[in-house]
Amino acid sequence: MVQSRRPEIVTALILLAPFLVVYGLLFMYPTIRMVILTFTDSPLIGTGNWVGLANYFRLFSDRLVSASVWNTLYFVLLSVVPSTILGLLIALAVNRLKGWTQSAVLAAFFLPYILPVSVVFRIWGWMLDSQFGIYQYPITFFTGQQNIPIFRTLWLFMPAVAFITVWWLIGFNVLLFVAGLRNISQEIYEASELDGATRWQQFTRITWPLIWPITVLVATIQLILQLKIFDQVYLFAIGGRIDATMTMVQLIYRTAFQKNQGGYGATIAFILFVLIVVVSVLQYQLLRVREQK
Amino acid sequence: MFKTILRTAMLATALISTSAFAKETVVWWDFLGGGDGVRMKQLISDFNKENADKIEIQPTTLEWGVPFYTKVQTSAAVGSGPDVMTYHLSRLPLGVTTGALSEITAADMASVGLKPTDYSEANFKAGQIDGKQYAIPFDIHSVVLYYNKDKLKAAGLLGDDGLPKGLDGAENFTAAMKKLQAGGTQYGVSIHDGAGDSMWRIFYSLFGQQDGVFLKDGKVLDGDNLAKAIKATDVIQSWVKGGFAPPAVEYPASIALFTGGKAAMHINGVWEVPTMTDLKAKGSLFEWGAVPLPTFFAHPATWADSHAFAIPNNVGHPMTAEKKKAVLTVIAWMNKHSTFWATAGHLPAYNAARNNDEFKKMQPNATYAKLADTAVFDPSSVLAGVASPVYDAAGNFLMPAINGEKDSKSAMEGMRDDLQGQVKK
Repeated sequence: MVQSRRPEIVTALILLAPFLVVYGLLFMYPTIRMVILTFTDSPLIGTGNWVGLANYFRLFSDRLVSASVWNTLYFVLLSVVPSTILGLLIALAVNRLKGWTQSAVLAAFFLPYILPVSVVFRIWGWMLDSQFGIYQYPITFFTGQQNIPIFRTLWLFMPAVAFITVWWLIGFNVLLFVAGLRNISQEIYEASELDGATRWQQFTRITWPLIWPITVLVATIQLILQLKIFDQVYLFAIGGRIDATMTMVQLIYRTAFQKNQGGYGATIAFILFVLIVVVSVLQYQLLRVREQK
Repeated sequence: MFKTILRTAMLATALISTSAFAKETVVWWDFLGGGDGVRMKQLISDFNKENADKIEIQPTTLEWGVPFYTKVQTSAAVGSGPDVMTYHLSRLPLGVTTGALSEITAADMASVGLKPTDYSEANFKAGQIDGKQYAIPFDIHSVVLYYNKDKLKAAGLLGDDGLPKGLDGAENFTAAMKKLQAGGTQYGVSIHDGAGDSMWRIFYSLFGQQDGVFLKDGKVLDGDNLAKAIKATDVIQSWVKGGFAPPAVEYPASIALFTGGKAAMHINGVWEVPTMTDLKAKGSLFEWGAVPLPTFFAHPATWADSHAFAIPNNVGHPMTAEKKKAVLTVIAWMNKHSTFWATAGHLPAYNAARNNDEFKKMQPNATYAKLADTAVFDPSSVLAGVASPVYDAAGNFLMPAINGEKDSKSAMEGMRDDLQGQVKK
């Protein structure tokens, strides 16, 4: 028995080898090199001197690092939670429609999702422009104030960009939720109706528990995506108070590419990597607890 | 028969390859994607026609700003950069520290008939780091004051020569804006005060008018330079505070405020001259003009930067003498034909391209050309230049001060401390 297993192992290794080689070469090796980079003072290109933990100590005295961590988490809070809840609500509404109206409404919600970020930036930048933006009229009507520069008012910046992000990406969440809702067998609802369940009971006792795994999936995808927020915040902040609205990926870009500090840039990237792993594992576990209850 | 054909074919191949060998190709990268890019393509195609049997430029246009400079740096490091490229002189110090640029010697320049005295001194020296030349200037671009002739005339601010009068000095400028607004114009001036870079250009002009030194010997805003910086900020801030300029305006809106007649004056780069010219040609713009910025302090001075030509230091792939000669020929030809480049609004760096009848008839370029004599360039430092920490700091401190979110003093102190903290110890 023992002898006959050896050829199996060899076969297994041969079959696994292409994957292992590609994975090692394209993922593991660069990751290890990046971690090594964090212990050096390398520029963007080329090698640097070994500086030990100096880059890590520098993180603590760099106020931009703490600011960017808070901004990133703030943005995650403002975008992930609404886009998950709104996504579910819209999906519930869409699910009650029938035939072509459902397709049309679904398409309408999905349409912004296919736009590239640069187009989203242009559309909203112009619609909200302080001088010529069309949304300035309703804003003036409700607040009584004229020409509000939304992206140059510090406390409005993150909520505004988060709102636009939700508008932009929510179509995908709606799609996932609709698929999940369609998977719930119609028979369960019929059975509950016979038992005299109200709409609210149907939602809390049937829909909500059965859609929960999809909710976890949507929230996790959104969380990882939004922790890596860069494009929209970068574009809307160009020329503005970027230190105050800096997110982590933006800080990595600025440090490594603009200021030519590859080693320190890698250190911040490594912190983001750790943060994403910790937060997403934590979130996944927390949400699963609810599932097993 | 077959042999003859074969021999002819071989001969033909040999001929083609030798002629291809004798003709140098020059790989060219630039970041000129706007209206000036169209004009640059014209120049390149003219060059290729004129030198059809000797040199061929193979141009590629890349994304302006950080992407361009990152690509140059990475490609030069592995020896696959272009043969020649456009470069901002303000960005030169950072480029040289990363080892991405080759030196251009006086002998190199002389070999194609270029001399340091062909350029204004400040402009030419901005191409040097530690006394070595790394770039040859191609143009000077700056900010100018665009004005609506009809509105200025109605307010009695237009001289008989069609140029604005009575705008020099902070009080006079404010008084002029008051007159313009009293005449029914909504705003005296529109500025792109939603971004640090545009504010830096105006600020640095006003700072230069007081002989301010922003960064020298590793000291940012040292001594009384801080007070000068505060004064310069105060002036621009007063336009917003007084309601003469709307706050936090985005770039396209700042232009539209002027071209739409809501603002009587507009401060922006010379690169918007083609915009005004084209609008006027279409019949959708009033009578307009452009002059150098008014003098608010001791003497005239205006921020300026330069597009220049540089040769990358392609590691492991040193240039042959023939190739270098071809590259230098391209640079010299471009400079000598740069009067055409002025149609993009820029001022040709090459003196002779400005001192000719063709340029002197070009309006409004000829009117603001004198700003080149008093131009102040960004501090020569790795912290300064296009898309640099100084530009970022302008967005973080200067811009909010101008829009009244911070007072000038604390903003300038914050800017000083922020940049001082980034100076390499």
